[in-house]
Amino acid sequence: MLDYLLSQLLNGLVIGVIYAVIAAGLTIIFSILKIVNFAHGEVFMAGGYFSYFAIALLGLPALMGIPAAMLLCFLMSLLIERTLLTPLYSPKTERKGDYGVLATFGVSILLRNLALLVFGSYPLRPPSFWSGSLIVGAIYLTWDRVFAAGFGVLLLALLVWFMYRTPWGEALNAVGQSRESASIVGIDSTRFYRLAFGLGGALAGAAGALVGPIYSLSPSMGLAPDTQAFAIVILGGMGSVPGAIIAGLLIGLCENMFVAFFPDPSRALTYAQAFSLVVLMIVLLVRPTGFFGRRHMAME
Amino acid sequence: MQPLIEARGLCKRFGGILAVDHLALSVQQGELVGLIGPNGSGKTTTINMLTGHLSPSAGEILLRGERSEGAAPSSFAARRVGRTFQITQLFSRMTVLENMLVPGLARPHSHRAEATRQARAHLEFLGLAKLEGLQAKNLSGGQQKLLELGRALMLDPEILFLDEPFAGVNPFLRDEIIGLIQKLHAEGRTFVIVDHDIEAIQRLVKRLVVMARGAKIADGAVEDVSHDPEVLRAYAGV
Amino acid sequence: MTRSLAGQAALIALAAVVAVIFPHLVNNYWLSVGITALFYAIVAASWALLVGYAGQFSFGQMAFVSMGAYTSGMLAKYYDVPIPLGIATGVVLCAITGCVIGYVCLRMRGPYLALFTVAFSEVLRIILVSEAEVTGGNGGLQIPSLFRGRSDLPYYYLGLVLLGGSLALMGWLVRSRWGLFFRAIRENEEAAAAAGVKVVRFRLLAFAIAAMFAGLAGGFFGHYVGILTPDIGSVDQMGLVVAMAVIGGPESLIAASIGAILVEFLLEALRAYEQWRLVLFALVLLLTVRFARNGLLALGADSVMRVFRRRDAATPARTA
Repeated sequence: MLDYLLSQLLNGLVIGVIYAVIAAGLTIIFSILKIVNFAHGEVFMAGGYFSYFAIALLGLPALMGIPAAMLLCFLMSLLIERTLLTPLYSPKTERKGDYGVLATFGVSILLRNLALLVFGSYPLRPPSFWSGSLIVGAIYLTWDRVFAAGFGVLLLALLVWFMYRTPWGEALNAVGQSRESASIVGIDSTRFYRLAFGLGGALAGAAGALVGPIYSLSPSMGLAPDTQAFAIVILGGMGSVPGAIIAGLLIGLCENMFVAFFPDPSRALTYAQAFSLVVLMIVLLVRPTGFFGRRHMAME
Repeated sequence: MQPLIEARGLCKRFGGILAVDHLALSVQQGELVGLIGPNGSGKTTTINMLTGHLSPSAGEILLRGERSEGAAPSSFAARRVGRTFQITQLFSRMTVLENMLVPGLARPHSHRAEATRQARAHLEFLGLAKLEGLQAKNLSGGQQKLLELGRALMLDPEILFLDEPFAGVNPFLRDEIIGLIQKLHAEGRTFVIVDHDIEAIQRLVKRLVVMARGAKIADGAVEDVSHDPEVLRAYAGV
Repeated sequence: MTRSLAGQAALIALAAVVAVIFPHLVNNYWLSVGITALFYAIVAASWALLVGYAGQFSFGQMAFVSMGAYTSGMLAKYYDVPIPLGIATGVVLCAITGCVIGYVCLRMRGPYLALFTVAFSEVLRIILVSEAEVTGGNGGLQIPSLFRGRSDLPYYYLGLVLLGGSLALMGWLVRSRWGLFFRAIRENEEAAAAAGVKVVRFRLLAFAIAAMFAGLAGGFFGHYVGILTPDIGSVDQMGLVVAMAVIGGPESLIAASIGAILVEFLLEALRAYEQWRLVLFALVLLLTVRFARNGLLALGADSVMRVFRRRDAATPARTA
């Protein structure tokens, strides 16, 4: 039993890292563009497929699938941003929140169906990054999972370094805090919207490439991580990268513990999908507009 | 005589900040009161509490002697308390007439025909009669301010709280609004007006209440208050 | 103005005639498409009521459809409850749940409300999948049909009556003072409250009423199809309804339901293109959102009006 729990714990940590990578991307998009991106899970899904086809068609080594997925997701995000999100920056657009929801929701439907069309509904499994398993005593963990977690941690570390230690990251933070002040000190906001949306997409793409060998790829694989990422982002504090990382690990762990302790094992797996949804609902209830976006009447 | 509205020991805390600090204020029927003070002194917060838009952290609000703190804004509106906002708040994608009909029909036992007749009468009074079919978002800034006042009038308010009615308003419109307030006051309506335009306020009101850092620092006739050393100090920004 | 009223009446009469004779013009396959279109039209209109009029951006409408269908289906299957009574029970349950959702979401707006309602729908779907002994899970739940006999005709006419009735009721509602309050809340909650509108009450009412119509549509359609799967309440189904309503025009009940009917028929007509058609509709949805936020029908109507106006520019008619 203890061994079982321990391997569930380790699996939870691995998944938690992946969640953190997805959520970090979502939170960057949220903090800069002020939209809740409903298409984030589909970019994650696309990342998985991009990696698969980069390996299968171009004959790249398995490891190169990750940067390929990141690059392609970055470019795809730029395309989405240029074609659909520019009205968000225009003062003429009414009800920007609703617009953002509808536009990104539409993108998610488009990408999901496009994936069904291009990739088919049968699951695909990309080659392993690192075959075999880590076996210590009774604990069993595939090297792919170890690798995914390690790479995820590396990405997150790079991201934190980028956000807090480089001029670009600092400028991005400045735009996130106040568009007006950013433009006063001469930062061209639109460039940073593009950068933020592309960066968020690249992170989702990396996560998609990383989970490919662990789970299989399917066009609907983005649905669950999407809500999980929302739960994480709100739990971690809207727009906070470190918050998203901590909350991501937490949700990954709790989800696996939930499965481990659920009394009826036959239902545990389906109800596991509901776990983060319920977390999301509770978080929304307790902090209805997250840590950002209160539209109460100002003090004065 | 029983005050129309009265606040006792009214407090509002936002996090660690005491935005309104044990405020006592009473307004009699038929008064025209100016509420002034530097930015951040708690004027709007006070109005928001007196109209139900914020719940006080402590203290009492008595509306015609009846305890009302924390009641919903609609309950204040139903008891003939009207207000305007610092930044004009209209139903932008509804017509001018519809903007007026919302409060008209929200009143209990109201009828559409009667409410429409009243709305048109008020629009006439405000000089907006010809615009009734336009969407509110297509009005000029000044017309929007007038419409917001008109919407408050549809409640047939005994007391009206106007939050910065003269902010961003050109001198002609300012004079027009002053004239309108005077007419409405002559009809017997009570006003509490927050504004930074001291000159306009002095033309209008006899009584001034001054707030600074959430507390009331002066309350009395205009000529007394304007020479109060504490008020001068507050405005000098000490 | 009288001319536009007469024009409207003529259009409605024409639509009614076409709708009534439609089953006699087509084969069974298209009749069944027609029934499905009527179902989606009711749901799209109810979504337009909640989102377009009351401004409560919810993605939970298909969850209420599913709740209405499963409630009535299970009551009929397990307890032999007469189907009309079962549907009524489903509608009441939807109203209550709608109130609860409306209440817990009182402090949420825009994207947060959308997120919450997506989560709610998914949780409901997952429960329906997991509790397979009662709900049949992904394998589906066989439920009794509403009418005996093989013909779909009674379903079609019932659906038509339900759509007509729903549109009439909702149309009356949005023209009443409640509709005025809904729109006031959509535009500015703070100002609506200051104007005396009981904001809490009307937000709950909007959720409850919209949920009732969704539940009604679900009950009707469930007993027509005869087999229920949790997928009715999926995000993809909700996406389809959103696409229908947005393409038609989310701020008009009629436009939203026409959008639903058009999209459903086009989806079937383009069946040969399989997955392509869904991609196509997603693209149309995005183009509509991007360039014609009031829907393609509104855009079309606008341009027609403009042509008319240009033609009789000498006597500019005020539109009501």
